Amino acid sequence: MAAALVRFVRGGLGRSFNIARSSCLLQQQIRAQSVSTESPPTIRPKDAVTHNQLAAFGEYVAEMMPKYIQQVQVTSFNELEVMIHPNGVIPILTFLRDHTNAQFRNMIDLTAVDIPTRQNRFEIVYNLLSLRYNSRIRVKTYTDELTPLDSAVSVHFAANWYEREVWDMFGVFFSNHPDLRRILTDYGFEGHPLRKDFPLSGYVEVRYDDEVKRLVVEPIELAQEMRKFDLNTPWEVFPAHRELKEPAPKLEAGENAPEKK
Amino acid sequence: MAGLLKKRLQILYTKLLAALQTMPRDATYRKHTEQLVNERFHHVRTEPNVEKLEEKINCGQIEEVIFQAECELSLSRKMAEWKPWEPLIEEPPADQWKWPV
Repeated sequence: MAAALVRFVRGGLGRSFNIARSSCLLQQQIRAQSVSTESPPTIRPKDAVTHNQLAAFGEYVAEMMPKYIQQVQVTSFNELEVMIHPNGVIPILTFLRDHTNAQFRNMIDLTAVDIPTRQNRFEIVYNLLSLRYNSRIRVKTYTDELTPLDSAVSVHFAANWYEREVWDMFGVFFSNHPDLRRILTDYGFEGHPLRKDFPLSGYVEVRYDDEVKRLVVEPIELAQEMRKFDLNTPWEVFPAHRELKEPAPKLEAGENAPEKK
Repeated sequence: MAGLLKKRLQILYTKLLAALQTMPRDATYRKHTEQLVNERFHHVRTEPNVEKLEEKINCGQIEEVIFQAECELSLSRKMAEWKPWEPLIEEPPADQWKWPV
């Protein structure tokens, strides 16, 4: 229809009118056809080949480093995840970088997730990319507020600022980091804003005061002490986030020969 | 020039195999890496033409293969320190990897 309208503007009125009408007719026909044949719902097609390759590589890695790897899984979106013990950060990242069958030389991202109900509330996530084999891997580990984690800067220089960010936002301490200081928050800021127990409004307010002619920092004052929002819908919001009846099979370091990717 | 590169590769692979010898015989890292290195070493010894050698190894140009061998060598020396073939040091706390929480 849009194309017909463009032509309407460009060409003369009489000529394009016919074209527009005929394209309308055509569209109606197409619509009628699509109503009659019920199309299946859009579902992400399963890519068994990629899944099996990733699973085989996951088993290969788990077999090589059983000392540090706790669990390996391939997600439903075909992403390989390796869960490791916090002591194994440097060995695993170095292994993935230097081993000839892995060559994950690029650190794409390093971040943290705060889940306060867990015993180790922070989950640290490393995303790596292998240009040689065109594949990605995610390494996850855990820590709490007090336990320092080994810094990955000696393996990937890209980790430098990411770790500063995680330190700033979550307060996870990285030992042996060359320059661990604040990166995103303001001078004199207190607290770690991405922790779940940090209030949305923050603790202080910064504003320019006209009387004293400078910026002042004062504790935040809300007009209402507390307000309860009851925004929960009666429906289940994320049905896909229910626990699976049959959990995805854990990949164990098996005897079957791993494939080269 | 090509002879020089292959010479370098041969030295690296010999060193790598020697480094792997220090690991226990049933370590999976040693098994897989030895297999990999022996395969490449065999190609390096038998194939005189560098371009065909690159095709046979199928992991980039010969300089890249040398770089990979250097990385593997430094890794194998670190591995001997870390001993990652030992059993898991500590099980995760219950529900650590459970999602959704």
